[in-house]
Amino acid sequence: MQQESLVSAYAPPFKIVLKYFFAAILSFIILNFLLMLNYSDIQGFHFQPMILALTHIATLGWITMMIFGAMFQLVPVVLEVKLFSEKLAEIQFWIFLIGIIGLVTGFWNFDTGIHLTASAIVLNIAVLIFSFNILATMAKVKKWNIMGMYLAAAIFYLITTAFAGLLLSINLGFPFIKISHLQYLNLHAHVAFVGWVSMVIMGVSFKLIPMFTLAHDYSVKSGTIAFWLINLGLLGISSVMHFENLTLYFYISAALIATGIFFFLFQMYVIFKKRMRKKADVSIKFSKLAYTLLAISAMFGLLITFTNIANEMNVTLIYGYLIIFGYISMLIVGQMYKIMPFLVWYHKYSSKVGMEPVPMLKDMFKEKFAEAGYYFMITALAGVIFSFAFQIQMGLLISFGTMLLASIIFLYNFLYILLKA
Amino acid sequence: MATKDEILEVLKGVIDPEIGLNIVDLGLVYAVEITGNEISVTMTLTTPGCPMHNSITTWVEKVITQLDKEASVKVNLVWEPRWTPDLMTFDAKRELGY
Repeated sequence: MQQESLVSAYAPPFKIVLKYFFAAILSFIILNFLLMLNYSDIQGFHFQPMILALTHIATLGWITMMIFGAMFQLVPVVLEVKLFSEKLAEIQFWIFLIGIIGLVTGFWNFDTGIHLTASAIVLNIAVLIFSFNILATMAKVKKWNIMGMYLAAAIFYLITTAFAGLLLSINLGFPFIKISHLQYLNLHAHVAFVGWVSMVIMGVSFKLIPMFTLAHDYSVKSGTIAFWLINLGLLGISSVMHFENLTLYFYISAALIATGIFFFLFQMYVIFKKRMRKKADVSIKFSKLAYTLLAISAMFGLLITFTNIANEMNVTLIYGYLIIFGYISMLIVGQMYKIMPFLVWYHKYSSKVGMEPVPMLKDMFKEKFAEAGYYFMITALAGVIFSFAFQIQMGLLISFGTMLLASIIFLYNFLYILLKA
Repeated sequence: MATKDEILEVLKGVIDPEIGLNIVDLGLVYAVEITGNEISVTMTLTTPGCPMHNSITTWVEKVITQLDKEASVKVNLVWEPRWTPDLMTFDAKRELGY
């Protein structure tokens, strides 16, 4: 039964993975809480100390922490090799955490110079340890698959993102980058979201979505085309961003990436069509919505590339919120509602199968609560976008509060699975 | 010596926790044969190439050994004929919304 492929003798100790997951969820709550607390200051252009601080709680604390944990679990299991070093995975956690706290406080107080740069260096060390650990693990792989391809590419972009971030942090204190700081920031952000985060999400989707929906006998042609289009586009963007006035090449690269994303989405559609499990549980609902929001984000990205819409009030904030809290967060929450119950079930009950009654995965958490969380998240997302667009402060406060509530429900279910199940 | 029906009954204790159904109702058990002291189960999984199929076969061996401590249990995992949703019981199909 394919769900077994979430766990195997190759998996690292559960407590290492759990540490990453827990830190990620706490970051999500802190992030939503800070947004609610500072709702009246969150407006205008994205290049502001507080918004940079909050963005990094989201990208490093919430998203990347979660991906690190998930990759430590999935890479060994799916590629059938042992993790190169469990010790490094443990050490890396603390280095990464220190780096995040340093960077976020550095941005918040706009303490550019040594504080920010030192934090960026610490983060780069954590990223290099992670990359080394995963690449050394992958070096032992005999059977490559589409997921492995995507994940290996993701590592490359992770390193690029971290290094570009380090250059930017130095540049804030001691300007040396000849081209505009904002253009370089643009590069850093797009390589982070399209290269690192989305490559992981796409790679993992190829494995998890068929597993969770019981789909097989589908072609992965679109997924492979998506891989090459996105990578070509990303390499294009990474190179043209180092120069000024290469607008045409930038347009071509952006169009390649967007086309690649649509090929990926078509691949997901093909998989969904082949599913044998027609009933959509809460996890699949989250995932379907996330893919829809990815399509909207890609179209929004094209609009920003080809028009001047980004100059309008709050447009880049809407774009960022949509990507982080829409597409990415919905997918994380949805996938975690499958991964966590299974991991806990496996550790607690797999040895008791056939000997005593064991719970089903759907009994491992309160699905009703999770459903409520789903609707809270949609409402909050729509509310934030609407309030940014029409500059309604009260709307922002309420919507950030609703997202906080959704994140607390997620934490509650996470702990419920862990402690009560 | 355990009978075939008794064996099928204990195999219903081997569940797929995610789907919430047991391997018998899913139609994964193709045959149960009893020859003297040996019980052999021929079965498949929903998807070929599952890296964790060991744990399913271990569960199968375990529940049968518990039923009949004397028996030597053999599990043959086969991919032909391929499993299709049509092999599920009526209730199982309904459970999956198939």
